[in-house]
Amino acid sequence: MNLLKPKINWEADYSSKILVLLVFFVVFVFGVRLWFLQILKGEYFAKKSLDNRTRIVKVYAPRGLILDREKKLLAFNEPAYDLAIIREDCKDKDCKEELDSISILLKKDLTELKEKFFTGKKRVKVFEPLILSTNLSFPELAKIESRLYKWPALKIVVRPRRKYNYAYALSHVLGYVSLASEEDLSNDLNLDPGDYIGKSGIEKSYEDILRGKKGKKKLEIDAVGRVFKESLIELPQPGKDLFLSIDLELQNYIYHLLEGKAGAVVVLEPETGQILALVSSPGYDLNRFVFGVKEKEWKSWLKHPFHPLQNKVIQGTYPPGSVFKLVMAGFFLNRLSLDPLESVFCSGDYKLGLRVFRCWRKEGHGWVNLKRALVESCDVYFYKQGEGLDIDELKSFVVASGFSRLTLIDLPYEKAGFFPSKEWKRKRFREGWQKGENLNISIGQGYVLVTPLQVAKFVAGIVNNGITYKPSLLLKEKKMFPETLPFSQKSLEFIRRAMIETVENDRGTARSLKERGIVIGAKTGTAQVVKLKEEDLEKEVEEIPYKYRDHAWMASFGVINQKKYVVVCLMEHGGHGASGSGPIVKKIYTYLKQKNDR
Amino acid sequence: MIDRRLIENIDFKFFSLVIILFIIGVINLFSASVYRLEDGLNFTPFFIKQSIWGLIGFFALLSSLFIDYRHLKYISIYFYGVSIGCLLAVFKFGKIVYGARRWIDLRFFSFQPSEMAKIATLILVAYLLSKTEGVLSKKDFFKISCIGLIPSFLIMKQPDLGTALLLLLIIGGMIFYKGIQKRLVKIIVFLFPLILPLFWFFLHDYQKERILNFLDPSRDPLGAGYHVIQSQIAIGSGRLWGKGFLAGSQSQLRFLPEKHTDFAFAVFAEEWGFMGTIFLLFLFCFFLYSILQIAFQAKDAFGRYLVVGIFFYFFWQIVINMGMVLGLMPVVGVPLPFISYGGTSLIINFILVGLVINVGMRRFIFKKI
Repeated sequence: MNLLKPKINWEADYSSKILVLLVFFVVFVFGVRLWFLQILKGEYFAKKSLDNRTRIVKVYAPRGLILDREKKLLAFNEPAYDLAIIREDCKDKDCKEELDSISILLKKDLTELKEKFFTGKKRVKVFEPLILSTNLSFPELAKIESRLYKWPALKIVVRPRRKYNYAYALSHVLGYVSLASEEDLSNDLNLDPGDYIGKSGIEKSYEDILRGKKGKKKLEIDAVGRVFKESLIELPQPGKDLFLSIDLELQNYIYHLLEGKAGAVVVLEPETGQILALVSSPGYDLNRFVFGVKEKEWKSWLKHPFHPLQNKVIQGTYPPGSVFKLVMAGFFLNRLSLDPLESVFCSGDYKLGLRVFRCWRKEGHGWVNLKRALVESCDVYFYKQGEGLDIDELKSFVVASGFSRLTLIDLPYEKAGFFPSKEWKRKRFREGWQKGENLNISIGQGYVLVTPLQVAKFVAGIVNNGITYKPSLLLKEKKMFPETLPFSQKSLEFIRRAMIETVENDRGTARSLKERGIVIGAKTGTAQVVKLKEEDLEKEVEEIPYKYRDHAWMASFGVINQKKYVVVCLMEHGGHGASGSGPIVKKIYTYLKQKNDR
Repeated sequence: MIDRRLIENIDFKFFSLVIILFIIGVINLFSASVYRLEDGLNFTPFFIKQSIWGLIGFFALLSSLFIDYRHLKYISIYFYGVSIGCLLAVFKFGKIVYGARRWIDLRFFSFQPSEMAKIATLILVAYLLSKTEGVLSKKDFFKISCIGLIPSFLIMKQPDLGTALLLLLIIGGMIFYKGIQKRLVKIIVFLFPLILPLFWFFLHDYQKERILNFLDPSRDPLGAGYHVIQSQIAIGSGRLWGKGFLAGSQSQLRFLPEKHTDFAFAVFAEEWGFMGTIFLLFLFCFFLYSILQIAFQAKDAFGRYLVVGIFFYFFWQIVINMGMVLGLMPVVGVPLPFISYGGTSLIINFILVGLVINVGMRRFIFKKI
């Protein structure tokens, strides 16, 4: 049997040997390859396999609403349609074909699209939608929708978009959101290209509260990108709604009063610090910013002589004019222990050395004491009493009264105004403080700049027995950061009486405000040095531009049915305080009374 | 009718090896036919069909054992002729699937003449080789080459590059085993690099793409390179122990293309890991070795060349398929024996296994027929 069983003759049959070796060789090569793929690089491929089938997608959180004190809707969200591209699904790496077709379809500049694509590429993962074009119109949407089947990489993304009611009247309160810039994106890692971010107003200062937090969704997908399992990993946290202290009706009413003029009005409750209306005229259309403002349009707004983009209530800095006499009166009474009954003779002008300082009333006021000087706004009285003051001492008093520093209102880009000091003068002009400058400062001219809001906060302090609060725009914020004016109660009472008399006395400068049923106190102001902006103080005197018409001030308080209001109005180049701002303030009180009676 | 000695001499080790491979193939197809949707697991009936084909193949195998393989010698030339005829008929009556004309529809079932041609050519070449003594003469070499080239050319025109190449490789392997004159070797070695570039012009664009993508899969990761990348991800992510039966995400979420046919091995590798693939690799190694053993024990030259031909038939399929799935070779549509889905190929595999057993069990029969 052994003989019959043929064996493989290894020695003789080379071919047979080679075949067997060939089998072993192939098995060895494949074995090594399998070891390489499954053991050596197993972890790498396991991760790849996981990446293959799961995608993490962000879930948009709706931005918080903004409402007025009566729960009327001011800012809300509406659905917007954006065009996005998913790079992974593109036909080539740089999505050339897709970008070309979008550019033709939407008539968009190709280089602009490419720029967006390449900046977005750095931040958006290959399988996440990269927003290329926002706010598609309905015809655009239809054009794209009908071609989506041809371009699997293109996606229409629906997301909430900001919309503002009363966009003009509230432009300086609400502010606006617009697309996050390259800078925003690098500052805030939670932002993605195509996200909106508050750029001014409440939208900016309460960005953190309004924005909310995006959620995360895990998608399990198959090879064709079909989602077969969706699970929320992180719930989106919607932004919180904000209730403002603003009274929408009042705000709108005031805005219409100011239509066609450049000016600022602020109405606040002195007892809480809450702002009921904050109007800066002219306004601008907030909704335009959501869609992206073209440079040309932006520039035309910047060049407009009425400066619509400036919030005059907090950013407009003006010489206070005679309104400043309220502060001076406080200074005289509290720091210089002036006897309010001491009289000064006003002949219409006041001589200091060779220079003559005029009273606004050429024929003079005759003998005036402090109260009459306030009521009739006699300049000579203040020249005389202020002549010998120490400017640094005055400065500390003025700053304590809330000027030359921020009111801390919850709006961005507030300006502090300005008040000089000896040191500043020396540094700036290399000369000492002049006596003549004392006279100028005493009637609110010269190197002093205030914002309407600072005046309002100060007047609120006078009404509220010397306590001032941070001017606040949120309904739930009341009596924030209380401060005390450096005024004795006696002096406050004196000033309140003088202000009331300014309205009620037949010779009072604000007599036009007189209204039956309302106790009104006021101080007019006419700012003669025009357009002395804060930044101009840094320039040489010769460079300061002069304009010829005065700003008209009216700082007032009113008591209607025991409820107290402060109304401050400034009309740019409005002429005299009484004639330029008076009628507007009067209408506001009439309106407030009607509303109160309702 | 059938000798008891014949049954005793059946190589049962080899036979059971084939059955194990087939069962692994069906189990793997069961997993490959699962796909996951929102509502859970779904099945396509591939594995049921494959089992039915397997059963048919099994009976074909058994019945083939009754016929002495030596009869094949005498019908081989006619079988070859019919095959060429069928290949020609495909151009006229063939049905187009995926842009290639490969199938003849016989109403109740369709078959690929190229599969038949492969076997017919193999048998004829084995017969011709067995008739010559010593190394192959120049004349015989060209004769046999022509017999191999004619069907290869026809198959390539269908176009079915994989099968054509496979046929050439099988015939080449058989000639190599037979041995040729040294001068001929020199001529071939000299001519081969000159002919090779010509091949490029015969190739279709998609075939060129595949070769370029094999050289650099990242060239087009979502297009032609996709197969290779996804296959490697599937295999690699199996790691040592695999993701488990019915748990291969690459295959179930259909990232893996052609998962029940050409890439069935990747499905297996993903679910059973390195342990599984090495086991399967050893089974194939043992399978091929067993065939060789039977070849070398065959009592006549025809039987030996026949089994060597069958050896190459399986060997090249395994090499090409695994090489492709493992990313070592360009993508060519060649199935993995017993693992990939496909009725025709499975039945042919069983019949060829039957032939191998046939040769093995008759190694002590010297009776002339």
